[in-house]
Amino acid sequence: MIVAGIDIGSLSSEAVILKEGEIMSYSIFPTGADTRKAAGMCMREALERAHLKFEDLAATVATGYGRINVPFATKTVTEITCHARGAYRLFPSTRTVIDMGGQDSKVISIDAEGRVSDFVMNDKCAAGTGRFLEVMAGALEVDLEEMGERSARARNGVVISSMCTVFAESEVISLIAAGCSKNDIIRGLHEAISKRIFTMAGKLRMERPITMTGGVAKNRGIVDALGRLLKSRIQLPEEPQIVGALGAALSA
Amino acid sequence: MFEGIKTGLVPKVIRRLLRSGLAMEMAKAAVKWSSRRENRAFPFWLDFLFDTPKRGFRKGRPVVWISAFTPSEIPYVFDLHPVLPEVIACLAAHIGVSDHAISMAEGNLYSADVCSFYRCGAGLALGGYLPQPDLIISTSHLCDGAHRFFHNMSQHFGCDHYLIDIPYGSDGRARAYLVDELHDVADFIGKRTGRRLDDERAAEVIELSNRTRQVMLQINELRRRIPSPFSGSEGMSYVLGMNFSTVGSQLGLAFFRSLHGVIEERVSRGEGIIEEEKHRLLWLHHIKPYYPNSIFDILEGLGAVVSFEEANQVYWDSMDPKRPLEGLASKMLSNSGCGPIERRIEAILEMAGRYRVNGAIHFSHWGCRQSCGGSHMVRDVMRERGIPTLVLDGDGADIRNYSEGQTRTRLEAFIEMLR
Repeated sequence: MIVAGIDIGSLSSEAVILKEGEIMSYSIFPTGADTRKAAGMCMREALERAHLKFEDLAATVATGYGRINVPFATKTVTEITCHARGAYRLFPSTRTVIDMGGQDSKVISIDAEGRVSDFVMNDKCAAGTGRFLEVMAGALEVDLEEMGERSARARNGVVISSMCTVFAESEVISLIAAGCSKNDIIRGLHEAISKRIFTMAGKLRMERPITMTGGVAKNRGIVDALGRLLKSRIQLPEEPQIVGALGAALSA
Repeated sequence: MFEGIKTGLVPKVIRRLLRSGLAMEMAKAAVKWSSRRENRAFPFWLDFLFDTPKRGFRKGRPVVWISAFTPSEIPYVFDLHPVLPEVIACLAAHIGVSDHAISMAEGNLYSADVCSFYRCGAGLALGGYLPQPDLIISTSHLCDGAHRFFHNMSQHFGCDHYLIDIPYGSDGRARAYLVDELHDVADFIGKRTGRRLDDERAAEVIELSNRTRQVMLQINELRRRIPSPFSGSEGMSYVLGMNFSTVGSQLGLAFFRSLHGVIEERVSRGEGIIEEEKHRLLWLHHIKPYYPNSIFDILEGLGAVVSFEEANQVYWDSMDPKRPLEGLASKMLSNSGCGPIERRIEAILEMAGRYRVNGAIHFSHWGCRQSCGGSHMVRDVMRERGIPTLVLDGDGADIRNYSEGQTRTRLEAFIEMLR
C-alpha cells in the first residue's frame, strides 16, 4: 500500500511517501502565504520523485498548523502525534522528542509503544522557534543555514537577555554596534533559545534518549547548546524536517 | 450596537438604556424570544441578568458589589442588591465588548498583568456601565487580584470596602476568627445602610440556600450518568453565574429546580449532549474563555464531553438557619481552593472518580496566580493516577490572547493522546 503524509508548517511544508512502510520519496517546500497551493506543489514534487500519481495514493494524512487546508487529505492528525510517531519509527528507543519548528516548539514524552504520554508547547511568544532565528539571521545579515557553523567558531560568550523577538533583534543590533563578533552573538542566541526550551522541558518528566526534530534541528549550534543543558546526547534524524510528515504517513 | 460601544459613538445611549426599565424589559423579551430553544432554566438566568442593572441603576435598595467568592447569602440576608463585577465581565466578554473595557482600564493605568476579568470590570466601571456601589464586600480567598480591584473601585466610587480575610487553615480557630469577621461585616453593613442583621430574615435566606444546595447536589448526581446529560460549557457559563450570584434567593432556588428538571428529563430519555461519547473530561479551575471561541465545539467534535467542572462542586455542608454567620464561615472555609494545594488535589481526584472521567483540562488563566501556580502539581498527580491532564494556558476575558489554531492543536493532540 502506498500512502502519504504532508506536514504544512508556517515556514515550510514537507511531504513523505511510504510504500509498505518504507520511504519512497520526500519533498520540502516553502509554505508561503497560500497553504493550499504549497500543499499541492509539495505533494506533486514528492509524487514525481517516486514516479507516482495522486491516484496511486491509498490515503494522505495531513498535519501541521495548515492541516485543515489540505483539500486532498483523507485524515488530519496533530503535529504532536506525528512527530512522536515519526521519531519513534526512526529511533524506537526514544522517550522524548523536541520539535522546534517555524512558529512553535514542543517537547513530547512518548512511552515504550511510541504513544504520546504528555506534551508541552511554547506559549504565543515566538522565542525558541525557527521564526526567531530567521529574524535574528536577518538582523545579523547572515544566512540561516550558516548560523550553526558560525556558532562553533565563537570565541567569547555573549549573553542575550531578551527573548522577545523584537527586543532581541534590538539587542543584537546593539551588540553589533558595540563591536561583538557575529559568531559570538550567534552562539549567545543559541544559548538563549536552548535555555528556553530547557525550561519548557522541565515541565515534563523528561526521559532519555532524546530526539530532536523540525527545521531548527539542522542548526548544529542549537543542538549542541541544548545537549549541554540537558546533559544528554541528542539523536538527530538524517533529515529532521520531514519527521512530522513521516509520522503523518505512518498514521494513514 | 456593540460596535457602537467600541467606537465610543453611543456609550451615553447604552448607559441610558441600562437605566431604563422599559428598554430593559424590551431587550429581555427580545433575548428570551431569540433563545426560546434553550432549556427552560435559561429564562431564570435572563431575568437575573436584565434585572440586575435595572434595579441597580434605579437604587431601590442599597447596591453592594461583592466578589465571586463572597457568599451571595450575605446581600440577601440584608436585603441588598448584589452586583458581581466578575460575572458581568464574563458577560461583557460573551457579547464581545470586553476588549473595549479592558483597553479602557489599561488606558487608566491598569497593568496588562492584572487578571483580565478585573481589567474588564474596571473598564466597565470607569465607563459608567455598572451600577454604582453603596458599599463593597470581597474576600481574600482564591482570587489574588480581587482585593486590589475592589479597593480601587471603592476609591473610585468613594464608598467603603470590607475585605473578609479568609484564614489559610480551616480548623476551629480559623472558624471562630471568620465568624468574628462576619459580625464585623454585619456592623459594617448596618452602619452604611441602616440594615441590621435580622435573625428571622437570615434564617429564611439560609433555609433557601440549604434547599438550593440540595437541588445542586441532585443535579451533580445526575451529571454522573453516561452519556453526560449536560454540557460543561453551560455549566461554566450561566450555571456558574447563578451559583455565584443567587444562592440564598427564591430566584436561585427556582433556577436550580428548573435545571434539575431539564437534566432529569434528559437522563430519563438516555440523552447525552453528543451522539457518541468517547471521552469524559473534568474541567479544572473556575474559569473558561467567555469570549466567542470554539474550545467546547472542538472537544465535542472529537467525541469528548466535559462531564463536570471543578467550579460547580458543592463543597459546603448544610447550614444551621439559627446560626447563619457560623454556617457562612464554614461554607467559605470548606472551599477546596483554600489552604494547601493537597486539599484541592484531593477534591479533584474525588471528582475525577465520581464522574468517571478519563482526562482533565486545567484552564490556566493569564493573571490568575492560584490556577497557574498549582496547575502542574495537579497535572502530575492526575497523571500518576492514570488521568492525563492538559494544562491549557489562556485568558478567560481577553480575546486578544486567544489563538484558534494554537488552541485547536493542543486540544486535538490531547484527545489523540487519550485514544
